Amino acid sequence: MDTLDYLFQGFGTALIWYNIAFAFVGVLIGTAVGVLPGIGPMSGVALLIPVTASITGGLPPEQAATSAIILLAGVYYGAMYGGSTTSILLNTPGESSSVVTTLDGYQMAKKGRAGSALSIAAIGSFVAGIVTLVALILLAKPLSAVALKFGPAEYFSLMLLGLGAVSGLAGKSVTKALIMTICGLLLGTIGIDNVSGIARFTFDVPWLYQGIEFLTIAVGLFALGEVFKTILEKEEDEVHIAKINNLLPSKDEFKESAGPIARGSILGFFVGILPGAGATLASFFSYILEKKISKYPSKFGTGSIAGVAAPESANNAASGGAMIPLLTLGIPGSGTTAILMGALMMYNVQPGPLLFEDHPQVAWGLIASMFIGNIMLLILNLPLVKVFAKIIQTPKQFLIPIIIAISIFGVYAVQVSTYDLLLLLGCGILGYFLNKNDYPIAPIVLGLVLGPMVENNLRRALTISNGDFSVFLTRPISLAFLIITLLWLIIPFLMKRRGKEVIINVEG
Amino acid sequence: MDIKFDRIASVLFLTIGVLFIIGSRNLASSSYGSSVGPDIFPSILGALLVLLSIRLFYETFMTRNHHGEKEKLQYKPFLIIFVATLFYILTLETIGYVITTFIFLFVCFQTMERTKWVKSLVISACFSGLVYFSYVQVLKGTLPGWPIWF
Repeated sequence: MDTLDYLFQGFGTALIWYNIAFAFVGVLIGTAVGVLPGIGPMSGVALLIPVTASITGGLPPEQAATSAIILLAGVYYGAMYGGSTTSILLNTPGESSSVVTTLDGYQMAKKGRAGSALSIAAIGSFVAGIVTLVALILLAKPLSAVALKFGPAEYFSLMLLGLGAVSGLAGKSVTKALIMTICGLLLGTIGIDNVSGIARFTFDVPWLYQGIEFLTIAVGLFALGEVFKTILEKEEDEVHIAKINNLLPSKDEFKESAGPIARGSILGFFVGILPGAGATLASFFSYILEKKISKYPSKFGTGSIAGVAAPESANNAASGGAMIPLLTLGIPGSGTTAILMGALMMYNVQPGPLLFEDHPQVAWGLIASMFIGNIMLLILNLPLVKVFAKIIQTPKQFLIPIIIAISIFGVYAVQVSTYDLLLLLGCGILGYFLNKNDYPIAPIVLGLVLGPMVENNLRRALTISNGDFSVFLTRPISLAFLIITLLWLIIPFLMKRRGKEVIINVEG
Repeated sequence: MDIKFDRIASVLFLTIGVLFIIGSRNLASSSYGSSVGPDIFPSILGALLVLLSIRLFYETFMTRNHHGEKEKLQYKPFLIIFVATLFYILTLETIGYVITTFIFLFVCFQTMERTKWVKSLVISACFSGLVYFSYVQVLKGTLPGWPIWF
């Protein structure tokens, strides 16, 4: 069967009524998550894993996995749409990938052009979403075919590359990011060892035998950490929403933004594929690019529509591009995709080159549902943008405690253990302090999810080579990955030394 | 950036790294004969963590302390909500989901802002009731519903 057949089958899966409903709920919640400044896509997805796990409980395993990932991915790319709304209307980005949009978006809103800014953002996101999906479909098969030829040594080096790239770009200090990655990997070694069956670092506590659940850590560090931050650093924010007049942009505005949308989509897609560089970087880069090639660079920052169209297309394209390494190689390139990967693994579906052969329903169902989800988002965001803008007025008084309650319910529903709830609370406190002191959190979750796989591949490679570490250096592909990893870590460091400003990825 | 935090953290990470190395050494004796045992990965990681924490400690001396404005932190509501969450977690299994969630939400709503107490009562009751009903009755999940002495 060729790709098109698989795609049609995927549409067959995605068009089952409950999967349409899941996609709809996903993008709806995603948009809300994008609009609310307190919750980013990462905590949104993490919070919803247990909820989806319980909703899909009645379905057969593979269908449950498909439906769950359709919903969770919907939250992820939905948040990219929603983030622009608050950037434009309030000058407060809903999440970090929309920070650049505030520069021109809010200026446009001030001039009474909020409507066209919002609709261009939505249209740009839609175009970008479709472009990346087409690219995803074209690249999925060949990439996974290449990845199938990898041995354990190549896989180990590739994973190191993924971890290294995320750490290199994750925060202000590479040292801190690397420490966080190692801590995540170490957390992953707790529990019964898969290969030898020996209990490691469990101190004879039965609760630790099954290992530390990534869900508890992710929800605690992200969702509770952000909640505690909101409580501790209470800001009296005056909500002043700009008025939305006419929604349809003029013909000139369309013409002006067509180029930026096209360039933003392509650039965003390629940035998204790179591990470590996510939506935030993509939006920054595309904004800089547009400013450079524009005939009137001085117009940027004063309400230029290209300054809204390009970054908004780019961040959406990047979120699609980030699915490629996740689905074809099994390497998540960011915190949110790491959480998506953890969710798939909870359903016993291993992302990676075999995903397209073993679980075509999951892979192609997800891809097809992203088409449907993007169309839904376009419809949701154009006429209903006023409704979503209202979400931001949700009083924190009610929002914050309910997030805590959902976290506790979610973790308890999946783990049924008070110890996990205590760990959740502890992680919440830890998340707040780490975040406050510039320790990036995404690498911990990434390390925790990838840890067991990194270790298995390392040990398999070493067993084949009789404990000889040079196997990673003598195999050319593996060596290439290792060299790229080193460069990735060293180059930003050298650039900082030279006093250059390095753009970092705050989203993770 | 708080340099004191970084220093304490680097010492803590150093300890964690050393502990993991010691822990893996104890594992080695129970390994199953192959030279590539369950100890190799954690001990490499432990060593890396030790190196990185030394580097972090060194970095704290390199950067000058920025005395930024001290933000005023809202300790009181945070402590109340933290303690409420702790109580919620510890009593969840004995008193049951519905009652604990209701009380927890109401306390937190009122801690956040001491207004709209009728609305707070209604929302907490609706949330705890709805979640319990839909999860246990509709989705057939398991939650400790009511006090165990019921």
